[in-house]
Amino acid sequence: MGEFEELVLLVVATLNGEAYGLNILHEILQQTNRTVRLNQVHGSLQRLEEKGMVCSTMGDPTAERGGRRKRLFSITAYGRQTLEDIQTVRSTLWKLIPRNLKTTI
Amino acid sequence: MIMENENQFPPAPPRWAENFLRWYCAPHLLEEVAGDLQEEFYFNVKRFGKAKARREYILDVIRFIKPFAIKRRSSKPSNPTTGMIHHYTNIALRNLSRHKVFSAINITGLSLGLACCVLILLYTKDEVSYDRFHSNIDNIYQLTCTRIEKDGKEEKFAIAAMVEGPAFKKEVPEINEFVRVKRESLTIKNNGEIFNENIVWADENFFRVFSFPIISGDPKSILTDLHSLVLTEETALKFFNTTDALGRSLDIKVDGDFETFIVSGITSKPPLNSTIKFDILLSFNYLEEIHPDNGWHWVSFPTYFTINPHSNIKTISIKMEKVYRTQATSEIDEMIQMGYGNTTSWGLQPFSNMHLNTDFKGTPESSDPIYSYILSGIACFILLIACINFINLAVAQSLKRSKEIGIRKVMGGQRNQLIRQFLCESFLLCLIAFLLAIVMAEIALPLFNELSNKQLNLLYLLDLKLVIGFTSLFFFTGFAAGVYPAIVLSGFNPAKSLYNRMKYMGKNYLAKSLVVVQFALATFLIIATLFIYQQFEYMTKKNLGYNDRNLIELTIDKAIMDNDLMRTLKTEFSRIPGVEMVAPRNVGRFQGPTQAAGKEFQAIYEHVDEDFTPTLEIPVVTGRNFSKEYPSDPVNSVLVNEAFVREAGWGDPIGKTVDHMNIPGWGEKKMTIVGVVKDHHFESLKEKIKPEIFTYDPRLPLGKFLIRIKSDHIPETLKSMERLFLKMFPYDSFQYSFKNEMNQNNYKAENQWRQIISIAAVLAIFISCIGLFGLTALNAERRTKEIGIRKVLGASITQIIGLISKDFIKLIIISFVIVLPVVWYSIDRWLRNFAYSIEIRLWVFVFAGMLALLIALLTISIQALRAAMANPIKSLRIE
Repeated sequence: MGEFEELVLLVVATLNGEAYGLNILHEILQQTNRTVRLNQVHGSLQRLEEKGMVCSTMGDPTAERGGRRKRLFSITAYGRQTLEDIQTVRSTLWKLIPRNLKTTI
Repeated sequence: MIMENENQFPPAPPRWAENFLRWYCAPHLLEEVAGDLQEEFYFNVKRFGKAKARREYILDVIRFIKPFAIKRRSSKPSNPTTGMIHHYTNIALRNLSRHKVFSAINITGLSLGLACCVLILLYTKDEVSYDRFHSNIDNIYQLTCTRIEKDGKEEKFAIAAMVEGPAFKKEVPEINEFVRVKRESLTIKNNGEIFNENIVWADENFFRVFSFPIISGDPKSILTDLHSLVLTEETALKFFNTTDALGRSLDIKVDGDFETFIVSGITSKPPLNSTIKFDILLSFNYLEEIHPDNGWHWVSFPTYFTINPHSNIKTISIKMEKVYRTQATSEIDEMIQMGYGNTTSWGLQPFSNMHLNTDFKGTPESSDPIYSYILSGIACFILLIACINFINLAVAQSLKRSKEIGIRKVMGGQRNQLIRQFLCESFLLCLIAFLLAIVMAEIALPLFNELSNKQLNLLYLLDLKLVIGFTSLFFFTGFAAGVYPAIVLSGFNPAKSLYNRMKYMGKNYLAKSLVVVQFALATFLIIATLFIYQQFEYMTKKNLGYNDRNLIELTIDKAIMDNDLMRTLKTEFSRIPGVEMVAPRNVGRFQGPTQAAGKEFQAIYEHVDEDFTPTLEIPVVTGRNFSKEYPSDPVNSVLVNEAFVREAGWGDPIGKTVDHMNIPGWGEKKMTIVGVVKDHHFESLKEKIKPEIFTYDPRLPLGKFLIRIKSDHIPETLKSMERLFLKMFPYDSFQYSFKNEMNQNNYKAENQWRQIISIAAVLAIFISCIGLFGLTALNAERRTKEIGIRKVLGASITQIIGLISKDFIKLIIISFVIVLPVVWYSIDRWLRNFAYSIEIRLWVFVFAGMLALLIALLTISIQALRAAMANPIKSLRIE
């Protein structure tokens, strides 16, 4: 899983069932200050759904979307497991870093 | 909100971008993507304003052009009919790929047949569309001249003399305009360079009558001025490097002197399917000025009329006839006095019919429509053979599919559904073949162009009529090939086909007769090819009665009336080391009445000198050649050929006299025959050898040289001849031809036909054989068990091959017997075109029959051998 996909998956998890393309985009923009495009978010969501890490349902239509419905994403157990695995690997590695770490320039 | 109230309408994303998104985006994603984009748009409107929001929206739409957004989910067929068609094509494709050999046979055959049809359609379209681009075509007519000789022989010309055009126009009210044209090869000088160009003299209303587009120049007066000159764009580019050449000039040699002509107009090049073709046009007024001619009978100018619509052509002809009788009375009398007992009459021929009519001599490029018919016939033959393959193989294969058909019927398949399924298969196959055929046609086009003497292009296909033609050809082929198998196969009884081991019904007369038809067509083409080859060989290899190798023909127009110049040239040419002998003679081939032995008949007159027969190596059979030793030879001696002696009915011709000769100013002098030369074919073998008289009078006009050169150092000899020629005539171009090449050129048409027919024969036999191959394969497969049992009981391989081949061999022999009389008749008709032809010999037919049989046998035996060699244990064990 790529770094950006991981980010999207994390955001889907934080938004807790209310995640859809646009608010994921805005959340990422707010949290990371990166330039992200809507098509990238949609592409990642597609791939995540194909891998079975998120699943989606259609929400209710709203006026500002021109009467169109949102596709609401929520994280699956497999997605959650993947996130936790990554987290474990990272924290294990963090713990292995010596306290008096010298950095080179 | 204040901001939003600025505009009367609430802001909206650009409509076109939205539509674009709707077009490319996959339907299952469209809703969420478009929704998100619109929401983002309103968000951006509030944050950045409308303009930026719109810009962002457009950019976002563009950014979404990604595979994941475009890719459609495979959709479920919603419509039962399309669903079935989907199913049919699926089954058809599977069937095609399962029976690869049969599919290949069918596709190869059909695509070859279709490719032939594509090419022939192109050819026919070109032929039929000849000259149709003239907008006034229905009212343009060509003046024709018919001469009936004393002996009832008729000669038809599409040319007239100079006076008929103006005279008829003046006296016949239905005739609106006349145009005379004359084609000629002239020498042009431009910046010191010499060119030899074909030019056309044309009357000033040429462009009013014919629809050739004028690019620059005044259409009204473009050919009025005596020295006007009209060029096509290509010619203008060639001479002046620009198409903007109005007012520039070229020096053109007319009657021996260079004359300056000034460009008065530029036109585009006449289309390829135009009878009148030109690169350079000159004003007919000039020709009329320098050679005024009031004669009615010396015809050499194609003359065209526009006539009032709806006038009666018969009436016009009668009126023209009357004008001729009144205005040309004295000339008609004079002709009769000179011994020409012929009558001349005038008629009109529609311009649109001109190209496909060869009755009248003088129409350039006219072609016999029979060629179009023959070619179309051949293409249909080949396509028919391919369709027969399809039908036969489909029916023969049906046994394998009887279970499928049974199951379909049991499951509730209707008969017409099954028919549709089989038709679908044949159409699919036909489609593949058709695409392949287009590719083949494109590949074969250069060769075909060469053979048919045309410049066709596949782009011609983009013509509405032709597209319709091709589409109907496609449907016709698909239908013709598919409909019979479809009806037969769909008629199977499901109970029978599922219970019993089905046997293909009856004796299968249809398949047999179709094979007979195939082989009859193929054998026809093979036999025709053999005869055409033989005749061609005969014509090109026949001993002509003179030696045409290393013989050069050279015409010098300047010397025609100048016998001193002729003599100088002769001595000069003889001095060149590589030249063996030089013989001058007259230029044309002149025929007229003569009297000898109390009879009157037509003879050819040739003016020669004593070197003529030795140079051409024509043997003198009796008597002697002309000789300088006999001072009276020029005055009262002639040579004749054997045909003349036969015509006169003499036993010993030496010393007999020719009592009258049709040479101007000859009077009643009698000429004594001093020698007889052997008959020789100076013309093509399509012409009979006519009686000939050779005269020796030095006052008669010469102008052509026949020069025998030594076979070694030919290029050097030609070079020195050219040097000599250019020294004497610096502004002429040295143009010579080898006599044997000229003789070969007489048979150009035959050569083309030879190649076309042989290609057709090869294709026909090939397609027939692959069909036969498939049929034998199926036959052998069906009889696997039988063959196994026979082998177990002791049959030898030869016996088994005989068993399988026997039926087919019978069919091929039947086809041969059927085709024999037809091909005999056609070949006989064709050979009658030639005055000298091969005999129809039986062995050719036998040979062709054996050849067809042999090829078929080879094809069959490949399969038969395989069946016969198979291990009987294997074939008997399978149940």
